[in-house]
Amino acid sequence: MNRFIVPWSQTHAYLGSRHALRLLAVLIGCTLTAPAQITPQKADSSAPFSIQATHVLGFENAKGNCNGILSIHEHSLQFQQNGNAGIQQVETGAIRGVFLGEEDKQVGGLPMTLGKTAAPFGGGRVVSLFAHKKYDSLALEYVDSDGGVHGTIFQLEKGQGEVAKNQLTALGVTGSGEERPTKQSAAEGRNETK
Amino acid sequence: MKPSKRTLLIACAGVILALTFAFPVQLPSQTAAEKPAGGSGGSAEQYNIQVNQVDRGNLDLAYSFQFAIYENLVNELKKTRRFQQVFREGDRAAREAPNLLVLKTTVEKYNPGSETQRAVTTVSGATKLTVRTELLTRDGEVVMERTVNGNVRFFGSNLRATQNLARNIAKAIQQSSLAGSEQPSATLPAEF
Repeated sequence: MNRFIVPWSQTHAYLGSRHALRLLAVLIGCTLTAPAQITPQKADSSAPFSIQATHVLGFENAKGNCNGILSIHEHSLQFQQNGNAGIQQVETGAIRGVFLGEEDKQVGGLPMTLGKTAAPFGGGRVVSLFAHKKYDSLALEYVDSDGGVHGTIFQLEKGQGEVAKNQLTALGVTGSGEERPTKQSAAEGRNETK
Repeated sequence: MKPSKRTLLIACAGVILALTFAFPVQLPSQTAAEKPAGGSGGSAEQYNIQVNQVDRGNLDLAYSFQFAIYENLVNELKKTRRFQQVFREGDRAAREAPNLLVLKTTVEKYNPGSETQRAVTTVSGATKLTVRTELLTRDGEVVMERTVNGNVRFFGSNLRATQNLARNIAKAIQQSSLAGSEQPSATLPAEF
C-alpha cells in the first residue's frame, strides 16, 4: 500500500542509466584486468635471455600478432610461438640492424572495441582515454641464406626493448639505432617531402 | 483465408528453392566469364619482381613502418599471383631471373596518427601514408608509376596503414597492363 507511484517513463530512464553505469563499470573492470593478461609468462630458464614478446610481422612461419617467447642465444635469436613447437630462428651474424621504437596501443582488442562502441553516452570514449598502454617495438633487419633482406617487428613490454637491444649489441650486432617515438599528441605535424 | 496463406507460403518456398538451384549454376559461370577480363593476363605471367626496401626519404618515418611496408608488399604481391616469383632486395636468385621488374617505393607523406586519439575523438588521429611507387626494368626504364595512399581513420593500430598501403600498391600493379601505356601517375586513395 505504501508503494510510490513513479511514471513509467522515469522508471525506464532510471533503469537505462543504471544499465549504462553497470556496463561502464564492467568496461573499466576489463580495462584493469586486460594488462594483467599480458604480464610476462615464465621464460625458458635454459636460454641466456628470454622475454615474452608479440610477433607483429616478419617471420614467415609465425602468425602475425601472436604471443611467444623471444630468446637471444649466443649465436641466434629465436622466437617460439605460444602453443606451437616450431621455433623461428635467425643467426645473430645475419642481423644487420636493430631498431628500437615506442608504441601506444589500445588494450583489449576487438571485444573491448565493440564494448566501447556499444557503451552509451560516449562512455566508450572515456574508457579509451585510460585503456591504452605503451609498448616497445623492436624492429630487426636481417638477411636470409640467399641474401634477401627481411624485416621483422616485435612488440615488447615497456623497458624490455632496450634490454633486448643491448643483448644483441653485446653479441656483435651492428647497425643498431633508436628511432624517435611515434608522436601521439594532437600537435603531431604532417611530414612531407617537397 | 487459411488456404490462401498456405498457397502463398508454398509459392514463396518454391521461389526460394528455384533461386537456390539457379544461383549455384549462374555464379561459377559469372566468375569464369570475369576471369579473362581481370588484371592477370597471360603475357604478364612471365614477369618476376624484386621488391626493394622502402626509401624513407627525408621523413621521420619509424623503422617499424619501413619494415612493415616492405614485408606487407612482399606478401601482398605473392597473393596477387601476377608474378612468377617475388624476390626480396639482395636476393642472389633475382640476378638470373628473366623479365625482372624492380619495385621501388619512396615515402612522400607520413602522418603517424594515434590510435588513442582515434578511439577518443573518432575524427582525428588518422595514420596516413602516401608513397610514390615505381616499377622499373633492369635497364631503369619506368614501366609503371603511381602515387598510392594507405590510411587508418577509425579502427585498428597505426601499423595497419602499412597493410592497407601494400594492398593498394599490389592492386595498382595488378590492374596495370605493365606495358608502359597507362597514365604516368595516378592517385589511388584508400581510407579505412
